[in-house]
Formats: sequence, C-alpha cells, structure tokens
Amino acid sequence: MGFIPGKRGDNMFLGLDVGGTFTDGVVVADEKIVSMVKTPTTKENLLQCILTVVDKMVEDTGSKAFERIALSTTIVTNAIVEDNIDQVGLCIMPGPGMNLNDILPVAPYILSGYIDHRGREMAQPNKEEVLSACRHFSSCDVFVVSGKFAVRNPCFESAVTDWIQEQVSPMHISTGGKVSGSLNFLRRTNSAYYNGAVWRHFNAFATAVEEALKMRGIYSPVFVLKADGGTLPLSVARNYPVEAIFTGPAASTIGIMGMNDDAAVSGISLDIGGTTTDIALWQKGRPLLAKEGAAVDGHVTGVQGFRLKSVGIGGDSLVFWENHVLKVGPMRHGPAMAAGGPKPTVTDAMVAAGFIDFGDRVLAVKAMKLLALQGQSPEEMASQVVDKAVNGICQAIADLLDEQAAEPLYHVEEIIYETKFVLENIIGVGGGAAGLVPLVAKKLGISYTLPENGRVANAFGAAVARSTLDITLRADTAEGYYTVAELGIKNRLPRGKFSLQNAYELAEKHLAELAQRNGIFIGETQIIQSEEFNMVRGFTTVGKIMTCRLQVKPGVLQYGEEELY
Amino acid sequence: MNVQKLGLVFFPAFDWAISPTHPEREERLLYTRDQIVEEGLLDMPAIREYKPKIAKIQDIERVHVGVPDIASLITNAHLVSAGGAIAAADAVMKKEVQRAFALVRPPGHHAMRIVHGTRGFCTINMEAIMIEYLRKSYGIGKVAIVDTDVHHGDGTQDIFYHDPNTLFISFHQDGRTLYPGTGFTNEMGSPNARGTTLNIPLPPGTTDRGLHEVLDHLIMPILGDFKPDIIINSAGQDNHYSDPLANMAITAQGYARLADTLKADIAVLEGGYSIEDALPYVNVGIVLAMAGMDYSKVIEPNIADCPSQSSSVTHYIKDVIKERQDMWGRKEKLQREAIMKHGEFWQTERSIYYDDEGINEQQKERVRICPHCSGYVIIETKARSSLHYKTAYIGMIPQKACPACLKAAYDVVHTAKKQGSYQHYMVQNKQEDRLEKL
Ligand SMILES: [Zn+2]
Ligand SMILES: [Zn+2]
Repeated sequence: MGFIPGKRGDNMFLGLDVGGTFTDGVVVADEKIVSMVKTPTTKENLLQCILTVVDKMVEDTGSKAFERIALSTTIVTNAIVEDNIDQVGLCIMPGPGMNLNDILPVAPYILSGYIDHRGREMAQPNKEEVLSACRHFSSCDVFVVSGKFAVRNPCFESAVTDWIQEQVSPMHISTGGKVSGSLNFLRRTNSAYYNGAVWRHFNAFATAVEEALKMRGIYSPVFVLKADGGTLPLSVARNYPVEAIFTGPAASTIGIMGMNDDAAVSGISLDIGGTTTDIALWQKGRPLLAKEGAAVDGHVTGVQGFRLKSVGIGGDSLVFWENHVLKVGPMRHGPAMAAGGPKPTVTDAMVAAGFIDFGDRVLAVKAMKLLALQGQSPEEMASQVVDKAVNGICQAIADLLDEQAAEPLYHVEEIIYETKFVLENIIGVGGGAAGLVPLVAKKLGISYTLPENGRVANAFGAAVARSTLDITLRADTAEGYYTVAELGIKNRLPRGKFSLQNAYELAEKHLAELAQRNGIFIGETQIIQSEEFNMVRGFTTVGKIMTCRLQVKPGVLQYGEEELY
Repeated sequence: MNVQKLGLVFFPAFDWAISPTHPEREERLLYTRDQIVEEGLLDMPAIREYKPKIAKIQDIERVHVGVPDIASLITNAHLVSAGGAIAAADAVMKKEVQRAFALVRPPGHHAMRIVHGTRGFCTINMEAIMIEYLRKSYGIGKVAIVDTDVHHGDGTQDIFYHDPNTLFISFHQDGRTLYPGTGFTNEMGSPNARGTTLNIPLPPGTTDRGLHEVLDHLIMPILGDFKPDIIINSAGQDNHYSDPLANMAITAQGYARLADTLKADIAVLEGGYSIEDALPYVNVGIVLAMAGMDYSKVIEPNIADCPSQSSSVTHYIKDVIKERQDMWGRKEKLQREAIMKHGEFWQTERSIYYDDEGINEQQKERVRICPHCSGYVIIETKARSSLHYKTAYIGMIPQKACPACLKAAYDVVHTAKKQGSYQHYMVQNKQEDRLEKL
C-alpha cells in the first residue's frame, strides 16, 4: 500500500482537474511544476481527456513512476446532471417528525423502528417490513438505508442493511450514517441516495482508469479529490463516490494554499475561469469550511466543502445587449474573438481596454465595435464591459461576506464578541485572474497577489492535496456509551471519569484506525466541532454529552508525508 | 421578492444558565437543537434561519425601569434574547417572511415594568420589548398577545395593564395551583383598558381537547373582534403532559395545531422544561405548523403517558369559556362602570416576590384615568432583600400622552423628589423614547 519518495526515483506527483471546458494537468516535483498540459474536456468520455493528459505528461517527463496520480473530475456531477444514475431502493426509518415523502429525490420505502435524539431505541425495526421493501425494490441492484438519529446509534441501520444483504445481496448498499456522520437526517439520506445512485457509474469509471493506466505500464496509486479539498485512494472512493462532487473549486482552493506558501493572510481568493468565478473566504491563510454540505440537483446533502460562491462571470463569458441592458455571461459561445472566437467576450473587453495582452488586439477591438452603441468608441465600450464584470464579481463578494456574517451562532459570547471578517488581500488564480483581479482589488481598496502558475491552481491543488478523513465521536456518559457514526460503531465508555480530553483521544484513536484501513497518512488533525453539556436531572448532574468531530487537516502535502507505514 | 413562510430565530444560548442545575441551564434547548437539525428543518425552502440581533439598552428602557438601572441587572444573554425577538419582528415587518418564531432564551414573560431582579426565570420581557420596538420603528398600533405558557404571564399583564391598544390574553394552569398565583378572571386591566387583559385560568389536567375548545370558541372570536394589527404568541411549552413544573396534558400535536389555528405573526418562546420528552417534538411541531408544512407525524415517543381529560375538567372549561365570552361582550359597559367608580385615579398596592434573589418588593401604583389618553402612571417601589434595600419613585408617560398628563407626570415626580423619601427618581418618557433620571 505504501510508497516511498525516492524509490521510484523521481518524486513526481501528477494532478489532474477535469473542468467543464478544459482539462488541466500538472506534474509537481520538489514543489515545482515540471510539466503542464491543457486539453479540451471530452465530455462524452472523460477517460479520453484524462488519458490524453497522462500520456503527454509521460512524454514530457520521460517517466511513468509517479508517486501519485490525483484526479479531480466531474464524473459524478455529470452523471447526476445527465440523469445517468441507477434506480435505488431507498429505505428510511424516519420515526416521528417532518414528513419527508415529497422532499427526497425519489419515493422512499418507510420502515418502522426509530432512534431518539439521545440514541435510544424507541421502536424496533421489523424484518418482515424489510423483506417487503426488498420485494418492492426487486428491480434495484443498489439499496440505501437511512435512519433518523442513526449517527447517535447505528444499530438499526446495520440490522436493516444485514437483512437486505441476506435477502437480495445487492451490488451495493449505502447507509446514511457512514456517508455522513453529522446530524441532519435529510442531508444524510440525500447523500446516501446519490452515493448509491452513482455507485455503479463511478465504479465503472474507476475500473476503466485503472485498466487504462495498467495497460500503459503506469502502476502509480490513483487518488480522487473530494469536495473538502482532501483526497481518497480510488479503492476507498469506490464506496463513497458522492464525495467526488464539486471537486473543481476545492482543487483550486488547495492549489492556492500550496502556491501561497501558507502566508497567513485573511481575505478572499478568486478563481476566474472561462465562464465562472469561484470565491472562497480565507482566514489566516486557510480557507473557511462551509457550515453545511453542498446541494446536488436541488437536494441538500451532507457533503462537506469549502465556503464558496460561484458567479457566472469569466474570461470567455459572452457579452451582449438584452432589452438595452448590457449583459455579461453566464453563457459561453466559444473563446474570445481575440483568440478566433465567434462573439464578444469579457477577455476581448480586457484586451481592447488595454488591461491585458492576449491574442489579436485588432479582433478584440472589432468585438467591442460590434457591441458599441452609436457614438460610443470601442474603448468606451470595453471599459463599460470591464466595469460590468468587475461590479458583478464585487457584488458576489459582498453577498458572500453577508452570508458569512448572517451565519447563526448559538452562544452568547460568540454573538457579543463577534469579530467581523476582515478583507486584507485577494489571491487571484485561473485564466482570467491576471486582468480582472487587479481591478477588483482596486475597487475594494485592498491588495492582491497573483501566484505564478495560478492558471493551473486547480491541477496543482489535485497534485499536492493531502488525503483527508473525518469522524464524529459522541459520548453520552449517562447512557454509558459512545458512537462513531462513520465507522458504524457503538461501544461502552471506559470505566471511570470521562472528559472531553478523553473524547478527543478516543476520536484520535479511531481516526488513526480508519486512516490505516484506508491507506491514508495521518498527519495533522484538527477538531472541527466540539461541544460538551452537563446533563442535569432533578437538580443533580447525571452525566455529560460530548461531541467532537475530528478531521485529518486538509491542505498541502508536506515533504515525506506520502510515506505510508 | 421571494417571501418565505417562516423566519426562525434560533438562539439556544448554550453558554447561559441561571445556575448549573436550574431549569434554565445550558442544556435546555440542546435536544431541541438536535431534533431541529436532525429533521433538516433549517434546510426547508419555507424556513429561513435568522441570527439574533443585540438589543440596545434603549430598547429595554422603552419597557422597563431597572432599579437602580437595568444594565446592572441583566446579562449579555438577555440582550441577545431580546435581540432575537427584535430580529424576528424585523423579518416579518420587512416582509422577508410571513411569520417568525423567536426560539430563544432566556425567557421573559414574568418580568414586569419595574425590575429589581429575576423572578420566575425572567429579568426582562422579550415580547414587550419587541412590541414597543414595533411601535417605535414601524408605527404598529393595536397588538394582541396570546400567552400560551402554563404559567400566568404576569409580567406582560403588568406592562400592558393600562394600555387599551394591547390585548393580553393568557391561558394558564389556575393560579390557585401554580406559580405565580395570579391570572384570575377579575384581573381585567385598569379602567381605561378594562377588558383588554383577559385571563383564562384552566384546571390541571386540561388536554388538547380542552385547549382547542378555548381556542376555537373564545380566543379566536375575541381576536376577530379586537382586530389587532399584529398577533404575538408568548409560546411557552410547559403545558406539555411531561412538563416537570406543571400539571397540564397538552401534546406536541396540540401545540402544533394551536400554532396552526392562531397563525401568530410572531411567536416568542417562553417556558417549557421537559427538555428531552417534550421540547424537541413541540418545537418541531410549532415550526412545521408556522411554516405551513405537514406536522401530523410529530408524535412523542411516550405519547401513551398522556392522560385523557376528565369530564369534570371538560365541564369546568365549558363554564370558563361561557363566563369569559360573557365578559368580553359586556366590556364597554364594565369599562364605563369602572371609570365612574374610580374618579380621576385608579390605584393598587401589592407585593412582588423575586424568587431568584429573595427580593420582596412593595409597589404602589397610580394611573390617571384620563379622558384624552391612557393616562400617566406613578409607581412607588421599595425592595428589600438580605443584601439590599432599594427604593424608587417613577413616573411613566405613554407614547400618546396628552399634554396635561405629560406635564403632570413630571410635576408629581419633581414634587416627590423635593420630599426626598426615595433613593431614585425617574421618568420613563415614551413620547421622547427615553428614561430620565431626575
Ligand atoms: Zn412557564
Ligand atoms: Zn391624558
């Protein structure tokens, strides 16, 4: 499982980001980019563009001995958007509460049996019902089991999973608690549903990638990027494909972290691509995580990601008039006219206004002439377009900051002593950054940095992203047990006093076990959530409830970190 | 603009307690948080979560007079809880949402105008602060408050006792059997506001059935008659059958249906101390009902423990409804009689107990029965505890005071100051929105 730097001789890391329009690849060796490839994304068959990039890099570097090949792909997102997903037998144990029938992506089969908020078993599940559910879903090869408060007690989800396994042995069963360990039955159920629905498609892709690489004599381990900016070995990702949604922005966020040399600035990053600008918030050199998971096809999930906002403005964004109003994006009609494209774009305006040097300036000016109103010079038109694009990005930044400030807080101290988010700096990456970022920074009155090679921050991020994992440990000392949802375990607490510190230690131990099982290096960990409450019954303290969520810190591989056991 | 159904200000104050083992402790809304988050309620398109604001001292002094001052009697948690109610009010008034629920703590409905400390877990009155904020910021006139906590909302009653524009309806477990021992049918408001305080004492053992009789046949018709600009629900949850502090038998379904029927513009949490068995379910039920969603599946796991209503309770409730309907029908007549009987001033004298610090307050109150406005109020207060003896002489001027009442209030307080038998002299001038220390 392990691989040791130097053993393959080259210490090279290959990162690849499949975007909507282009696929970028880089090879990083000793923290430097030694090869860079860009090719159009072959949407119908992603494997093709991936292999094109890999082949070029093998040619470039003259080596097949990559330490690691890490992929950030749209394979899962595309499958969902194009409805290329499997029918799933969705079985839920909702217990009392909100009626979910019309809220889930597909009609669920409702099972009785439920767990309450303390993790107590209030009503047992019924095997006969599970067998009827299997008959009801007789055409399904994939099942999903999700129970309310299963993260507080995994026993019912396990029991139902076993019964289904025993009865129909489907290809795959996803369980809510293992896909996401956080409270939120709705999100866990949706996550598990999509995980099951894309399972077969993703596994076919994974197998195709592995076989194609093997045929080329490339035996490097393959990793897949997750939305939280971490990577997972492909073998592990096969069971958690839903983690591989929305990895593009996460890849570039990690790439920025690597290119920024861990400078402890606070502010925002802008990844300005062909059609979108992704905005992330940074505090002391680290990107902020989103409080909630991403939404897939209009359904909220528990898939953790960074706090990001996308706005449909990029270099190739179409510029046009609609009812006498100038519009920028969100659609793209090919590249800029300056680069031989058919219609005026933001890039053309940037070139015509003299902000950047790109392609054929004559064609860019012509693009602005096409747009200009009577009596308006192409330069005036260009600066109007640029203003419009800059204002659009600034508005999105303001909206993101407002959303951050409106984030609910549940402690008095947090509200009274709340510190406002401070914008100090903008880090700009992506193809459109060089021209637009200085203008956005000027408008906001703050400084900016444009890292070298920022155009390939996404692929760079994939190349250098650490592997991550997280677990949620909850201990209820009054009930005398603890659970780790992601592992599906419920164990008795050790005898004697149990403190929050003990909970951290226990969580560390379980995280290390999981990391080992998944072949992941466990370096720095961080507590991403922790709380402790005294339980009082009748004026006496009867116990404590503690929750801690521990994560292998996402970030950039440090030298030697890829050395596994 | 896309108007969502419900604005939810959720503020469980996970770092605030009256004392470690007090019913008002950090843990109180923990299981409610767990249930709300686990359900995914905060992800529903019909529901928008809001962060509380921080109330200003001026917002509080628009309602309360603290002795010696309010700032020294409250904690930051009170500013945030009151700010939570204000955030709920803003969301509704700005039409971002149709209605709002401030699921906040600390509670407030036992806090009266004069504050010496904490009583019945309350120091300042969140709903009253919110209502005066609504009047000040949005020009709201007629307000109806429906207090559905099991305890009589004596603080809210006290604050609006002379205000004919605020209808205060409270149903609660009969004061002969429960704290604070008030809320009887003869407490009807001072003469100028006779009838706009309406108490509905209910017998222990009242179930959903009795509650909904009261709601359908008494409260809803009276609200229809009063035609308030806005309806506020003091949404206590201690009528639940599992509540440790009271003896009623209401379920989560009963509370959800109450919210559905009442359709309050803004609800503010009050009590409710069955923190594991009731609150998670009651709150989910209320949130769903207020958001216009299906709440029929919100059933407590231990619903079998809920007693049924005895026939004597059913009869008793029928009688209460009849008597209260009758009073409401005759309230103009009752008002005329009260005004005739009392002449220029209506006065009362009472003792108020602050259970938290063991403070005994003696209060003398006098309100002018003015033909032109609701009348100025004079309160003389003396509070004694093992540590302190605090006295104050206070004048209160309503927002729409007539010139005569405005002048008289100041004159009276100045005269008292010359005599000098009190420690503090203050005028709460609502017209100018300030509290003056003389
Ligand atoms: Zn109460
Ligand atoms: Zn007057």
